[in-house]
Amino acid sequence: MRIYEVFARKGRGEPLRHIGSVNAPDAALARVYAFSTYDEERWFDMWVAPRDELTEVFNVDRPAQEAL
Amino acid sequence: MSGTDRAGAATAPAAASDLGERERAAVRDLILILADSKRMLGMRYADWTLGAPELEAGIACASMAQDEWGHARQLYALLREFGDDTERLEHGREAAAYRSMALLDIAPDTWPELVVLNALADTALTVQFEALTDSSYAPLRQRCEKLLEEERFHLAHGSAWFRRLAGAGDRARAAVADAAQRVLPGIMQWFGPDSERARFLLEAGVVSESADALRARYLVRVEPLLALIGVTVGGEPDFADFVEESRRPRAGAPDDDVIARLRGDRNRVFLMD
Repeated sequence: MRIYEVFARKGRGEPLRHIGSVNAPDAALARVYAFSTYDEERWFDMWVAPRDELTEVFNVDRPAQEAL
Repeated sequence: MSGTDRAGAATAPAAASDLGERERAAVRDLILILADSKRMLGMRYADWTLGAPELEAGIACASMAQDEWGHARQLYALLREFGDDTERLEHGREAAAYRSMALLDIAPDTWPELVVLNALADTALTVQFEALTDSSYAPLRQRCEKLLEEERFHLAHGSAWFRRLAGAGDRARAAVADAAQRVLPGIMQWFGPDSERARFLLEAGVVSESADALRARYLVRVEPLLALIGVTVGGEPDFADFVEESRRPRAGAPDDDVIARLRGDRNRVFLMD
């Protein structure tokens, strides 16, 4: 089971924003779950990505030596 | 399509009163069969809002229930044109009067059984609606696009879960295979015989495909799933005890208590208006 982060855009050309996450064993179910869980708005598009495949660039709370 | 060449059929029927008498009865039957099936399927989904193996699956069931009831509501409303009272259709009929798919009479007891209804029974309804997207009966045609758009999600959910269970070990695969083998004969029968009555609808352009064509297209759609569980569908459906008007076997009906829940009997007593 993986956590998939869900991203969506309100309109064409608008920035993609993070709207939540779903737990799913694979991308096929993650898509379905994202669709039914976050369908309260009329989104232009929606994406899912496994959280563990997102790579952090930096975080202001982390020690300075870990920053770029 | 031959229907459009016939005298008097040059303009597509925009209202029930534009249909011939034979077609009118057959169209009403078809709409009621589809509406009742969606109402009942919606209830089966709704019952799995709790108890699904993942919170997200429960949410998906709630969403599918909502879709099915929305579709049922729209289809019942179409029957006003046929002289029906929608209030009576939704709340005033006995269990024996329901025309929902017979295989929906039995509540899915396990998640694999629900997944099989989702992937196989809901898809049969969708295949039937796909034969109505060019219907000469405009009110039905006009409701197909949005309905089928919503059904894409149901198939995605059903097939993703079907694949997951089929690959989740012997026990899960056997549960899916057992459930599939129980419902498939009923689904094949549900599309009905290619009878004279069915031909009226085809010739009038109300539906675009014969029952045999629907069965064939349905099998193409579900074949990749059935291959995963080693289930094949063989032989011609048996129509000996089949009632075309309801697309159900002559014997049997949904349980009275199920229909009482569907109608909301217990709580309608509070409505004093």
